[in-house]
Amino acid sequence: MKLANVKLILAREVRDQLRDRRTLFVIAVLPILLYPLLGMSLFQMSQFMHVRPARVLVVGGRDLGISPALIEEGRFAASLFSHPKEAERLKPFFPPTDNRLLKKGATAGLPSSAGRNSRKNTAGQASSGTQTPEIRLFQRTDKEESDQWDEARSLVQAGAYEAALYFPADFSVRLEEFRKSLARRSEARAAGEAVDEAFSPDVPQPKISYNGGNEKSLIASVRLTEVLRRWTQRIGDENLKASGLSARTARPFTVDTDDVAGRKSREGVKWSSILPVLLLLWALTGAFYPAVDLCAGEKERGTLETLLSSPAGRGEIVLGKLLTIMLFSIITAVLNLVSVGATGWIVLSRLPGFGLPPPVALVSLAIALLPMAALFSALCLALAALARSTREGQYYLMPLLLLTMPLVVLPMSPGVELNLGNSLIPVTGVALILRSMLAGEYWQALQFAPVVAAVTLVVCLVSIRWAVDQFNRESVLFRESERFDVGLWLRHLLRDRRPTPTVGAAVCCCVLILLIKFYLGSIFDVPKFFGVFARTFIITQIAVFIVPALLLTFLLTSSPRQTLLLKWPSWFAIPAAALLAVTLHPAAKLLQLLVQRLYPISENLRPSLEQIQGLINQSDFWSLVLLIAVVPAVCEELACRGFILSGFRHLGHKWRAIVYSALLFGLAHGILQQSLLASLIGVVIAYLAVQSGSILPGMVFHAVHNTLALANTRVAPEVFVQWPIAKSFATPDDGGGCMFTWPVVVGGTLVGLLLLSLFARIPCPKSPEESLEEAIERGQHADKPLEAEKAACGLAADR
Amino acid sequence: MIHVHELTKNYSDLRRGQFEALKGISFHARSGQIFGLLGPNGAGKTTALRILSTVLRPSSGSATVDGFDVITQSAQVRRQIGFMSANTAVYDRMTGWEMVEYFGRLHGIPREELSERMESLFERLKMNDTRDVLGAKMSTGMKQKVSVARAVVHDPPVLIFDEATSGLDVLVARALLETVAELRDGGKCIVYSTHIMREAEKLCDRIAILHRGTILTEGTLEEVRERHGQHDIEELFFQLISQHDQQSLEHFLSR
Repeated sequence: MKLANVKLILAREVRDQLRDRRTLFVIAVLPILLYPLLGMSLFQMSQFMHVRPARVLVVGGRDLGISPALIEEGRFAASLFSHPKEAERLKPFFPPTDNRLLKKGATAGLPSSAGRNSRKNTAGQASSGTQTPEIRLFQRTDKEESDQWDEARSLVQAGAYEAALYFPADFSVRLEEFRKSLARRSEARAAGEAVDEAFSPDVPQPKISYNGGNEKSLIASVRLTEVLRRWTQRIGDENLKASGLSARTARPFTVDTDDVAGRKSREGVKWSSILPVLLLLWALTGAFYPAVDLCAGEKERGTLETLLSSPAGRGEIVLGKLLTIMLFSIITAVLNLVSVGATGWIVLSRLPGFGLPPPVALVSLAIALLPMAALFSALCLALAALARSTREGQYYLMPLLLLTMPLVVLPMSPGVELNLGNSLIPVTGVALILRSMLAGEYWQALQFAPVVAAVTLVVCLVSIRWAVDQFNRESVLFRESERFDVGLWLRHLLRDRRPTPTVGAAVCCCVLILLIKFYLGSIFDVPKFFGVFARTFIITQIAVFIVPALLLTFLLTSSPRQTLLLKWPSWFAIPAAALLAVTLHPAAKLLQLLVQRLYPISENLRPSLEQIQGLINQSDFWSLVLLIAVVPAVCEELACRGFILSGFRHLGHKWRAIVYSALLFGLAHGILQQSLLASLIGVVIAYLAVQSGSILPGMVFHAVHNTLALANTRVAPEVFVQWPIAKSFATPDDGGGCMFTWPVVVGGTLVGLLLLSLFARIPCPKSPEESLEEAIERGQHADKPLEAEKAACGLAADR
Repeated sequence: MIHVHELTKNYSDLRRGQFEALKGISFHARSGQIFGLLGPNGAGKTTALRILSTVLRPSSGSATVDGFDVITQSAQVRRQIGFMSANTAVYDRMTGWEMVEYFGRLHGIPREELSERMESLFERLKMNDTRDVLGAKMSTGMKQKVSVARAVVHDPPVLIFDEATSGLDVLVARALLETVAELRDGGKCIVYSTHIMREAEKLCDRIAILHRGTILTEGTLEEVRERHGQHDIEELFFQLISQHDQQSLEHFLSR
């Protein structure tokens, strides 16, 4: 790769974009103008916005005659609020007389801005006490108590009031009786008379009615509850006083709280949920528009062919364009952040607790922006390369945004923490690190930074690889619009079958496997009996692996034998594969333990796994070998190393095929702790399949590997009892199995590597694309004409 | 200079499935000669030239440019050629000068040498009026001149022109043909595809008539005329194409 060419392409593309008014508008003008304008608009709007007090219908509470007063001068007593001004947020409405008044169909004296049906159903009068002929008087009889309560509820339900506060008819009288009885008891106690300790006069409960489906009503109920709590407390204090006791009798102490966070940290925490989201979303948006213009736009304008016939290689072109998109992504994100920060700071600084985010956090934002911009740029570039026109390219923005949004926004929820599991999720890990940095939790952020950096780097590289691949595909670069017809498409699939599946078919199989696995997982409950477990396991294996693999093999390929690698390997491959599984078992066991230490099984999952482990422990060993070793070895191998690996071989590089098929193998295991180890084992099995050209060594390895894993927990304890010398090679572990000693692990791995080197010596069958890539690799390093390479031309060109 | 041997190219679409756009074509083009690739629309000319310029890869067969294989040594091939087609557009937001300079730099020409070369090229092609004009504002003739300049700025031994006069008025087309002839006289190996017979007669030293992915005849103009007993190239063209279509129909019916 010539860096000079990359620089030239970068410089041209940047200049080109800077001359494009649309790009400049989205990248520079929009962020600079948008937020100040929004801020100004909000400021202007705020002058016209004022909080309307919540309307509370108070039935029977106007003149309770209880000290301290709940209502003073027609309002809730200001002393019952944490701040006297807050008293304006609750506006009480009373029936107009001392009696209970509720009206039906009243039109006069309505509270302003009543709900939808308020004109029909509003009850009560404003505190002015105006009465209309429609007002119905309820006499205070026990018979009608429930009617009054129901009436108040229905008015809240209809939206006429945000809440209703109902005092039973005899509330004041009974409370007064309660107080008097307390006073009498106090006097009696003072006079040394006998007091009935069990005596407790009953005071009827006031009720609050609110509408939980209406946010304003909900808030009103919370405020009202708090007011009543304070009022009740004050009444209690007075009661104590009347009994000759101090108010501190009930509350001898108060709790003092101490916030150890500094002011800056408190201010930073507010920013921690805003800035990462903005940064990541704008980095994505900033990448997309230039990507569409640089790929789809070039195709549309016909300049791409000119560039492709220039000495610049495809990798150089992709890198030049990628750097341009990255640059604009970074500029967009930074300008937006600066603009949002400046506007927000001016507006938010008026609010208590908001200040500038900590400088270290700003540095971390800048550092995180680089890999994120690279990732989004590569994804956008690859997607935009698919589009035939800028218009089509813009359609691809939505799915990308929809996929990215949850990864960016969900980590901002208070319940999501930065841990190893979350740090493995692309984008989410970065968002969580940023959140931690902004909140001042530097040590936690640094602890997981290497994992997040590694994951981000891998995803970045895969995305860039994908983008380069797109630029190497004629079917992508020179795609012409074709009317899509399902019938024609199905006919095309069946008519134009190749001996082995295409990459697209392999991806389709992966998606099918994961979807079926997901749905079956939600259908089946955790089995309680071994028979049910065995049946569920076999059905899952067949439905998840065998059905899609065989269905797609017979539908989409012309040679099932070649696709599923159904051929005999070299004579030594099968015993060597079995031996390899044995020699790698100690290392696999160690890795399994390591993974479980790093990522302990979640508490939610543990009971199900323990239940299954219980069933396994009670079952016959050889039945288990058949079920857990042989069945998956056949089903999973046919899908992962048969159909999927054959499809990925058309990518042009065997290691890419091996890694992708192994990743799918890992993902199909469902549980993270299993997936990691399965992916590594998948690499080994796929290598055996590629080198031997047969599925059988992989099946044997898989079966032996699973059998040994079973034996480790089932047989090991007996072995330790019968042959104590075994303890020189292994020690019992917590899970009932055994852990091998370091010499055994190292020795086994070395022998395993030796066996793998034997497989490496087999001249492995190559796909046409792999042969082509190798020929190109050789040709590119030769400045002289390579006559011998001409033979390589007889290959399928469009990969 | 250019050797094409049994070159095939398969495409696939929903309606036709796999089909051959080129059915094993072979030809040679030498230095100091213009090789004309003649054929109607859809004959496979553009596909063949895109393979020679390494934009596409063949399905089978081989092609070398100046000894370099178009598949395995595509980077080396691209350094030997200048490719211009009616489909190749110019960048809307670059001036004529910037565009030619950009491709010159991609070919690794040092800045000073490039500047001198461009001055002389702009003079020779009478395109100084395009120097500071953005691609979006250029006329078709201006764009074609810029494309020619872009294709020859690095002085490649091989030039590939695909329907270069398509859409040009007579004056500009004539000027362009004169330029191509001058380049041939300068010792370049030129492959020139067209469906305009008069252009081919005036310009080409050797021709091949391509129809439905098959070369129907190939040779110098005289050889072709003699072989088919037809002096008028346009008539010869119609005759060969009609014969081929007739044979294809008969072959299809006989199956």
